[in-house]
Amino acid sequence: MEVLRNNCLACHGAGMQMSGLRLDSREALLKGGTKGPAIVAGASAHSRLLKFVTHAAQPAMPPGKKLSDADVATLRSWIDAGAEWPSAGSAPEVKPPNWWSFQPLAPGPAGAGIDSFIAAKLTEKGLKPAPRADRMALVRRAYLDLHGLPPTYEQAQQFINDKSADAWPKLIDQLLASPRYGEKWGRHWLDLVRYGDTAGFEQDPYLLDAWRYRDYVIDSFNADKPYDRFIKEQLAGDELWPDDPKARMGTGYFTVGTNRDMLYKVEDINRIESLTDFVDTTSSVFLGLTVGCARCHDHKFDPIPQRDYYRLQAIFTPAVKNRIFLDYNGARGYDIGLNYREFKLRDIGNEIDSIQKPYREAIRKRKLAALPKDLREAFEAEESKRTQEQSILVDSNPAALRISQDEIYKDLSADDRARLELLGRRLVGLYANHTSGPIAPGIMDPDRVSPDTYMPLRGQSGLGVKVPAGLLTALGGTDIPEPPPEATTTYRRKALAEWIADPKHPLTARVMANRIWQFHFGRGLVATPSDYGTRGQAPSHPELLDMLAGRLVAGQWSIKAMHRLIMTSETYQRSANPTAEAREQDPQNIWLSSFSRRRLTAEEVRDGVLQAAGTLNLKMGGRPVVPPQTKEELYGMSQSPDNFWPVSWNKEDHTRRSVYTLVRRSYRPPMMEAFDGLDGTLHCARRDESTVAPQSLTLMNSDFAYGQARALAARLVKLGTPATIVATAFREALSRDPSAPEQQLASTFVEKQRERTGSLEAAVVELARGLFNLNEFLYVD
Amino acid sequence: MMDPRRRDLLFRLGAGFGSAALSTMLPEHLLAATTANNPLAPKRPHFPVKAKSVIYLFMHGGVSHVDTWDPKPELNKRSGQTLPESFAKGLKTSRIDFSKALIRGTPWKITPYGQSGIPVNGELLPHTAQLVDKLAVVRSCYGDAFDHAPAINLRATGSQFPGRPSLGSWTVYGLGSENQNLPAFVVMSDGAMKSGNLPYNAGYLPTVYQGTVFRKGASPVLHLDSPAGVTTETQRGTLDFIGEMDRQHLAMREGDSTLEARIAAYELAFRMQANAPEAVDLSKESEATKKLYGIDEPFTDDFGRKCLLARRLVERGVRFIQLFSGTNLGDDWDDAHNDLVGALGKMCKRTDKPIAGLLRDLESRGLLDETLVVWGSEFGRTPLAEGKNGRDHHPYAFSNWFAGGGVKGGRVIGSSDDFGLRAQDDKVDCHDVNGTILGLLGMDHLKLTYFYQGRDQRLTDVHGEHEFAARLLS
Repeated sequence: MEVLRNNCLACHGAGMQMSGLRLDSREALLKGGTKGPAIVAGASAHSRLLKFVTHAAQPAMPPGKKLSDADVATLRSWIDAGAEWPSAGSAPEVKPPNWWSFQPLAPGPAGAGIDSFIAAKLTEKGLKPAPRADRMALVRRAYLDLHGLPPTYEQAQQFINDKSADAWPKLIDQLLASPRYGEKWGRHWLDLVRYGDTAGFEQDPYLLDAWRYRDYVIDSFNADKPYDRFIKEQLAGDELWPDDPKARMGTGYFTVGTNRDMLYKVEDINRIESLTDFVDTTSSVFLGLTVGCARCHDHKFDPIPQRDYYRLQAIFTPAVKNRIFLDYNGARGYDIGLNYREFKLRDIGNEIDSIQKPYREAIRKRKLAALPKDLREAFEAEESKRTQEQSILVDSNPAALRISQDEIYKDLSADDRARLELLGRRLVGLYANHTSGPIAPGIMDPDRVSPDTYMPLRGQSGLGVKVPAGLLTALGGTDIPEPPPEATTTYRRKALAEWIADPKHPLTARVMANRIWQFHFGRGLVATPSDYGTRGQAPSHPELLDMLAGRLVAGQWSIKAMHRLIMTSETYQRSANPTAEAREQDPQNIWLSSFSRRRLTAEEVRDGVLQAAGTLNLKMGGRPVVPPQTKEELYGMSQSPDNFWPVSWNKEDHTRRSVYTLVRRSYRPPMMEAFDGLDGTLHCARRDESTVAPQSLTLMNSDFAYGQARALAARLVKLGTPATIVATAFREALSRDPSAPEQQLASTFVEKQRERTGSLEAAVVELARGLFNLNEFLYVD
Repeated sequence: MMDPRRRDLLFRLGAGFGSAALSTMLPEHLLAATTANNPLAPKRPHFPVKAKSVIYLFMHGGVSHVDTWDPKPELNKRSGQTLPESFAKGLKTSRIDFSKALIRGTPWKITPYGQSGIPVNGELLPHTAQLVDKLAVVRSCYGDAFDHAPAINLRATGSQFPGRPSLGSWTVYGLGSENQNLPAFVVMSDGAMKSGNLPYNAGYLPTVYQGTVFRKGASPVLHLDSPAGVTTETQRGTLDFIGEMDRQHLAMREGDSTLEARIAAYELAFRMQANAPEAVDLSKESEATKKLYGIDEPFTDDFGRKCLLARRLVERGVRFIQLFSGTNLGDDWDDAHNDLVGALGKMCKRTDKPIAGLLRDLESRGLLDETLVVWGSEFGRTPLAEGKNGRDHHPYAFSNWFAGGGVKGGRVIGSSDDFGLRAQDDKVDCHDVNGTILGLLGMDHLKLTYFYQGRDQRLTDVHGEHEFAARLLS
C-alpha cells in the first residue's frame, strides 16, 4: 500500500476526502466516492482507480503527474489478487501533498547569487548571455521599472557621466528613496487587489474614501513596510493593532472591490458575492492559489476540498464595514459638522423650492401654450386618460417642459432674486470647507461571536452543513479556535494573517518574490503568478525562486532589498537584444540570456507624455482627480458625465500622475483601455501587452496627445533656431541628444511640416506628436 | 525559417484591422505568418452551418413580454385583482411587491398573424407581425437578475458580475473575422448604456476580442480623425517621420517582431482613417432601401440607420454586430416603470419598421440564410402593475426571437405560466440561449474554451444543457 500512501492519501485519506473518497482501507476503496466505487476486487480492468492513474479516464490522477509503470503494475496485480488489505489496524501515515509549491523552501547552496542560477541554465541550454546594456538603456530601464517615469535628460546624464564604481547601486538607492517609487509599485499592488474608486454596475456609485487605501498602499511601499506586516495590516489590521488607525487602514483592502450594496434589494446576494470575492482574491493575491473552483465542488486539480473553501469563507463571515477614524476628534467633529449642516440644508432646500415654485409653474404654462396642439393636448390630458398616441408623444418629448435654473432666474422679481442670492451665500458658507473627513474605509468584526457558515450540499436544498472557520488542510491548516471570552472580535482574520505571513509558509514568500521578479523581467520564474496549483506552470528556475523567497524572509521581508538584489545582478543589466541563437531557441526568453524589452503600461505612457511636455504635476495623494475627456470619449457611459466624470475644477490636477486619476469601474478612459489599463474588476497579476491599431489612433489623434504635443511645442518654439528646437525636443521626449543623422532627419521633417502648415509652431507640434509615438518612447530596452 | 519569437509576437498584432492591409509593407513570409497567427483570422467552426454572422438586436431596458410576444388572457380576466398567494411566493423585483401589486391586463389586442397564426401585438409591431412566419419565438426565457446591469451582463456573459467575456467576444474568439479591415465585433448603442461596456467586454479573453463601439456620423471609430486643423498631408508627413525613426530603431534591435508589429499598426491606423468611413456611408443606398428601414422618418430614422449599417457590415464580413435600443438617460424601454403605454408604444414605433426592414432587406439580398438575427432584452416586465400605469422589471419569464441563419420560423418554443410570471415548458436560461447562438454559428459551447484561473472556461460555464440550436434548425 506504499503506492497509495505516497501518492494518494494526502487528498483521499483521514485528513481530506476529495470527492468524498478515501483510499486508506479496503472497505473505503470498495465503497468509493461521489464517482462510484474506486475498485472492483479481482477486476482491475473495471476499477476506476486504475483508469484514473493510467490516465485512461478523467480526472487523470494524481494531478500534475503520472505514476510509474511499476507502481501501476503493483496496483493492478493487487486489485486482481482480490485487494486484500495487508494487516488490520495499521493505519497508513499521511504525508502532505507532494506538489512542489507546498514543500518547504529549500535553502540552496550558501552564497549562490542570481547570476549563478541563471548561468547554470544557460549553459545547460547552450545559450550565450547578451552583453551588458549601455548606460542609456540601463538608466532608462531603472527609472521606468522603479518610478514608472523615464529619466529626464539631466537625470540620465548624471548616471551616464558617473564613472564611480558604485554608480549603479547608487542610482538604485537614489530611485528607491524617491516617493515616485511608491507610486509605481503601489500601482502594481493595486492591480493585484482589484482597486477601484467606484462600486461598479449600473449606478456605479463612488467609494468616496477608497483613495485612503490607495495612499496607504503607496506610503507602505515608500516606507518599505516589511511584507509580512503589510499582509497582516491588510487582512487583520483591526484585530492586531486596534489602537493604530494607520495599521487598520490596511483593511481598506476589503472595501475597494466591486460591490452593489447600494442597489435595490440585492443586499443578500451582495453579501455572498463579497464573501466570495474575499476568499478568491485573498487566495490569489497572497497564496497564488485559485480556490474558486472549490466553491461548488472539491477542486478537480488541486488538493482543495469544498469544505476548505467554506472554512476560509467563515473567516470573513463576521466582518462588517467600518469607518476608521484617522484622528478621533477630527472625525467626530467632521460628523457633527455634517449633522448641523444637513439640518440647515433641509430647510434651505425647502425655502428655495417655495421661492421658485410660482415661477416654475408660470414658465410651464407658457411653454405648454407654445407647444403644437397635439403635443399640448397630450401633456394636458390626465395621465391615465391619455390615448396611446398621446402617451407616446409625451414619452418622446421628455425635454418639452423641462425648466432650467437659468430660465427661472430670468423671470425672478428683484425681491426673490435677493432672497435666493442670500440663500446662495449661506450655501457657499456651509460648503466653504467641505472635503473628505479624516476617515478611512475598512472592516472589523463587531463581536466575538460570528454568524454560522454553511457549505451547500450538491443536489440538496436547505442550508447545507455547518463548517467552522479554518485554514487550508493541504497546507497543514487547522480549524481556528474560539476567541477568548473577553474578546470583542473573532480573531479569525488574525489567525489567517499570521498563518499566511509565517516565514515557514511555503507559498507566501515564493509568490511575492516571484511577483517582484516578474515586474522587473516581464515574466515570473513561475509564469502563472497567481496559480501555483497543478494547472499552473512549474518554475523555470526552482532553486533561484527558493533562494529569492528565502532572502525575502531573511531580509525582514524588505521589498526594497529585493529590488537591490535583483537589479544589481548581471542578469538584470543585460542588453535587451538577444543573440541570434537565443532568439531562435528561446523565443520567450525563459532562460533570460537577455533582458526582455517591454512596452510601457497605460499609466507610463500617459505620465511619460506629461513629463516630456513639461506639464506633469507631481503632487501626491488625496482624492481621485478627474482629467477632462471629450464628449466622444465619454460616449456610452451609463449615467450622465456630470455625475460620472465630473472634471476636477483645478486644471493643475488634470496632469497629475495616472495612479491618482479616478478609477471608474464602468468606464475606462480610451487611452487606458487602448494600452491595456485596468478598471479594477478582476485581480490582475500581469497586464496584457497588446499591439493594436487603436493605440496608434489614440496617441496620434486624441485631444490629450495633441494637447500635450502643443504644450511641449509652445515651450520649444521659444528656443529660437530649429536646430536647438530639435535637439531639445529629443532631450525632453527621449532623454538623450539626437545623433547627427537624426538631427538632420528631424530638421528636414520640421522644415517640411512648416511648409505644409505655414507655421513653425505647428511644425514643432508635429515633431512632438511624432516623438510621443516612437517605439523608442513606448518601449523599455 | 521564420524567427519564432517574431512569429510569437506577431500573434499580438490585430485589433480587427489586421493583415490584409499589411501586404504592401511586409515581406511574403512575414505576411503568411501574420495571417496564420492573427487572432482574428477566420477559423473553421466545429460543424458546418449556414449562419456566418450575427445581428443581435438588444432592447435595453426590459420589454414587456405579456404585451408583445406572450399574450395572457388570464391577466385581462383578473385585471385589478391580486395574485393567488402561491403564485406570488418567491418572486422579487426592485420596486413592487408581488403579493400586493394588482394584476394588469394588456391594453392592446394581440392577434394571430401569418400562416403560422402566431399571436403578435400588431398594434405596436405592425411590420414585424407581417414577418412572423420567419421568426422562432421563444417564450420561456428566464433569469434571476432584476437590476439592469447585472441582468444585461447575465445575458451577455453568463454572469451577473463583471469580468467574464461577452457572447460577441467569444464568437469572434471562436470564428475570427472575414474582414480584417473592420472590427470583427461592432456595437451600436443610443449612447448611455445601463451596463457600461460590460455586454461587449472581452473579460479575461485578449483585448482584441472586445467589441468596438461605432458612433454616429462619418467617423465611426474613436480618434479616427486627425486632430482639428491637421491635414492628411501633414498627418502623412508625421507618420513617415515616425516610420523612419522606428525603422532606424528597429535596425539596432534585430528581429523584434513587436516593434515591427507596431510600425505596421501605424500604417493600419492611417489606412483605416481613409477606409472605415466608406463602410458607414449610406449615401449610395437607394431611396427604396432607405424607405424600407424608415430612414428620414421622425421615429425610425435613428434605429433605421443602425439596422441598415448592420446589413452593410454583414456584407463586409463583420462577424458580430450588436445593436442596443434605448439609453439610460430617460429615453428608454425602461420608461415602462411609469407609463407602459407611452414607453412601449414609443420604443416599438422606433424599432418595429427598421427591424422588419432589416429582415426583408437581408432576405432580398440572399443574406438572411447566412445571418442569424436575434431579438432580446435583459428581462420582461411584471404582469402586475407598478403604480397606476407601469410595469416593473421581471426576469422570471420573458421572450426572445430568432430568425435567419437557417432557423425555421413560424414557431413558438416554450411557454410561461398562465400569468406570464414564470417560464414553464422548455425553460431556457442565458446559458441555454448563448449556447444555442454559438450552436447556430457552428460552435459547440462545450468545446469553445479558454484557459483562465486554473481551468478551461466556457461562455456557458458549467451549464447550457438545454441548448436548443438543433431544434431551431429542424
